[in-house]
Amino acid sequence: MTEPIVMKGLGKDYGTFTALGSLDLTIPAGTCFGFLGPNGAGKSTTIKILTNLIRPSRGQAALFGVDVQRKPTQALRKVGTVIETPEFYGYLSPLEVLAYAGRLRGMSKAALAARSEAVLKTVKLTGWGDKRVDTFSKGMKQRLAVAQALLHEPDLLILDEPTSGLDPRGMAEVRDIVKSLKREGRTIFMSSHLLGEVTEVCDAAALIDHGKLLLQGTLDELAKRAEATLFQAVFLAPLNPDELVWIGGLPGVKSATDSGNGVVEIHLSGGPEVQAAVISAIVRSGLPLTAFRPVGTALEQLYLEQIKETAQ
Amino acid sequence: MTAKEDLRQAFVVASYELRKYLRSRRLLGMAVLLALIIGLILGLPPALGSAYPSSPNAFVGTFAGFTSLLAVLCGVLFAADALCSEHEKRTGYFLFPNPVRRETIVLGKLLASLAASWLIVFLYYGVASVAALAITKTLSWEVALSAVYALAYVACVTGVAFLLSSILKGTISATVLTFFLFTLIFTIVGALLQVGKVSPWFLPNEAAGIISNVLGTSSGPPGFGFVPDAATSLAVFAGYFVIGSIVATVLFRRRELKT
Repeated sequence: MTEPIVMKGLGKDYGTFTALGSLDLTIPAGTCFGFLGPNGAGKSTTIKILTNLIRPSRGQAALFGVDVQRKPTQALRKVGTVIETPEFYGYLSPLEVLAYAGRLRGMSKAALAARSEAVLKTVKLTGWGDKRVDTFSKGMKQRLAVAQALLHEPDLLILDEPTSGLDPRGMAEVRDIVKSLKREGRTIFMSSHLLGEVTEVCDAAALIDHGKLLLQGTLDELAKRAEATLFQAVFLAPLNPDELVWIGGLPGVKSATDSGNGVVEIHLSGGPEVQAAVISAIVRSGLPLTAFRPVGTALEQLYLEQIKETAQ
Repeated sequence: MTAKEDLRQAFVVASYELRKYLRSRRLLGMAVLLALIIGLILGLPPALGSAYPSSPNAFVGTFAGFTSLLAVLCGVLFAADALCSEHEKRTGYFLFPNPVRRETIVLGKLLASLAASWLIVFLYYGVASVAALAITKTLSWEVALSAVYALAYVACVTGVAFLLSSILKGTISATVLTFFLFTLIFTIVGALLQVGKVSPWFLPNEAAGIISNVLGTSSGPPGFGFVPDAATSLAVFAGYFVIGSIVATVLFRRRELKT
């Protein structure tokens, strides 16, 4: 079976600025793939190339084996997209917006009516079907964007920060929609700068920054690779400088920094064995340790570390 | 994607564009303007105590004098923002990722623009003809010819408006430039050319003189001797429409949605 998304050496320059270097990425069918990176990393550029909104400066992008630049209409036939927060024609109602998209895709009247009702229900806009879009909030427009992406029951969904602009409840609802689509076996390619969102929803992820692919794999693979190295040790009372230096000198400790109120941030250079040895050394020394925990998740630390490295 | 499918999609795009003209009250606005012009033309002579022209050509000639302005307003309202608004208002993020070619989108918008503009001109000449028939008890072929030239001029304005819409980034700049290009810039260029003893036959507003000239009346500014002929005028209108539309399509196809 042809892979839903294949990118080979994909790149985009704006004058002398490289928005996307040379991206090689394949998204297997049935995967919910998170495309992670900070703002300006090149995520939207990639998605805009995939959806034929911009042309690549080099490389190729194919959807279901069809080159997006050479045969865009054929490539986008089985694809649903939400790109940024799209604006809709203010003079139309959600039902008319859906009818527009559906009619362009050649959907029959009966299919259109049934699917419109279903997708509006999915995004909780049922009562708003005949209201004009120009009265909608950003969050409601985002829900409508999700609805039109789902209208034709696409095999592939390309979502560019789909929870952007939504309130916490709306974000949770969109994530639930994505999870249900994942359960239906659809392929989802979702960009986000929110690591928590990707770990909650996706099976695999790629990290991109400054237009370069930093790492990719399933979330399990990434988690294994991402051993937590930054920990917080909490003591009953603040440590004196000698005690801090002593901790800093323990085997496997790269640095120990006083964060105030008895909290010390300890940067380790090893895995769980080093953690155990450091904890046991501190306990044996008689220092009043009350807690020892990683700062954020291991994946989060890996994410921040990688981004820091590209920034340098 | 077959040609039949492209055409089907173009009609879908056109139907939603027409809905835009209706809902944004642009068509209504033009209808009100039309009613005002017609009301003035028909109401002023009796109000001032003067008689209507006795021949159908002279009678419709009064109407034809306003046709150029009407055509430009149609271009401004139904064409000038057609393409650039998809970028400026970000509606392209909804429309473009659908499996529809950009050329098809332009075709659909062009069809809608022409349909709305031609409807206005049809209405205008329809009322003028009925009034001429009622008052002068006769009609002439020249009235129909004038209407045909008016329709061709509207297409010419539409082609140029689409071209500007594909080049410019903002809807306001595209709208303002379309209006002033036809009402001011072409007029100034035409005047300068005639001062330099160059015939301005290739300027659309000069060629539009045929709309009145065919009725034996003239709408051009006094003092300028250029008289367009029918074949040249139609060729000029066709040239601007075809070249404007094709270049607009190519530019719209190449334009990236970056914002």
